[in-house]
Amino acid sequence: MAYRRTLWKIMLDEFKRIEQELRNLEEEFYMRIKGLEAMRGCITPLHNVYESGDELIITADMPGTDKEEIDLTVGEDYLKIEAPCRSPARKIREGKYMLHVRLPVEIEPETVRARYKDGVLEVIAKKKIRGIKIKVE
Amino acid sequence: MPEELEDLVRIVEVEPIKEGVIIIEGFPDVGLVGTIAASFLTDKLQMKEVGYVESDVLPPIISVKNGKVLDLIRLYGGDNIVVILSEIPIPLPMVRPLSQKIIEWAISKKAKMIVSLTGMPEPGRLNIDVPKVYVLGSNDKISQDALRIDGVEAFTDGYITGVKGMILRESIRKDFNALLILSQAHFNYPDPGSAAEILKYLSKLLSISIDIKPLLESAEELKLRLRDLMRRTSQAMQDVQKSRELELPAVYL
Repeated sequence: MAYRRTLWKIMLDEFKRIEQELRNLEEEFYMRIKGLEAMRGCITPLHNVYESGDELIITADMPGTDKEEIDLTVGEDYLKIEAPCRSPARKIREGKYMLHVRLPVEIEPETVRARYKDGVLEVIAKKKIRGIKIKVE
Repeated sequence: MPEELEDLVRIVEVEPIKEGVIIIEGFPDVGLVGTIAASFLTDKLQMKEVGYVESDVLPPIISVKNGKVLDLIRLYGGDNIVVILSEIPIPLPMVRPLSQKIIEWAISKKAKMIVSLTGMPEPGRLNIDVPKVYVLGSNDKISQDALRIDGVEAFTDGYITGVKGMILRESIRKDFNALLILSQAHFNYPDPGSAAEILKYLSKLLSISIDIKPLLESAEELKLRLRDLMRRTSQAMQDVQKSRELELPAVYL
């Protein structure tokens, strides 16, 4: 019984240690983002990358810019966004959005289409599909 | 309530809060919809701070605004409404105790109802101009009353995670009136447009006048300002398996 209790305590302590390490990593991540933003005077927009069927969809929350001013560059395995960010209400100096994403799968850059709506940029690309077609019998 | 729960979360009233109020909570969640709506309401109804939530589980942080030291989770009071606002996402160990404590406290204050405001994750949000509003009550009467207002739909199937879900469950167990109001929203981008729809609905439900124009006009500014809170809330939403709200319940019965 005492052995079980000791084992249980060791496991609990280990879980707590892992949890603390994860929290430290999370905090380091926030510090890195904020540090980088302060150093480079730019804003890393909130963004998501997800796969949907044969497409790769990347969205970025970039309020305070104009679609004409968004500089979007794509390669087979990366996406780069730069755009000015204005904040008239707070009267802060103009900032700049900067995002460089390494894509999880290769895409066909010529298929990329993008739109900017309600402060959100959406980029959709066809995934590069390598291989041969197999007939199912 | 177990003694340890009593110690874990405490609701402190700095000014007397009268009985029979409606409690509205806007804890950070999907698209920060509840937070945006509740804080806008607090501002527009010129509510003042009447209390705060204290807990050893909260991170050791204070907020300072215009030279005034503030607690992270605060209670604001108006005529017949008390709003609970939080500047941080609720840490996982605090989700259940906080929900239980809020309902326990609401019952002790003979509150009429607790209203939770939140976003409903909608992957196709970018294609939606006017987000739909859904409601779910802790009992049939609350649901039926909430559905009397035009344009709102019943939330019938799905998962509700985090504080909102626990508040609803605790209310059912304690036979207390609770209403969950959800609006289609971006999952992890601040969504003032969605919050505006909730406020439109809330103004009809509570018969209060709320002009949402200023909210929509400052939407972009708000999105920028709430970026850091959204980033941290996204992490907290993972802790409570928020992505489950994109799924349907797996069992037939």
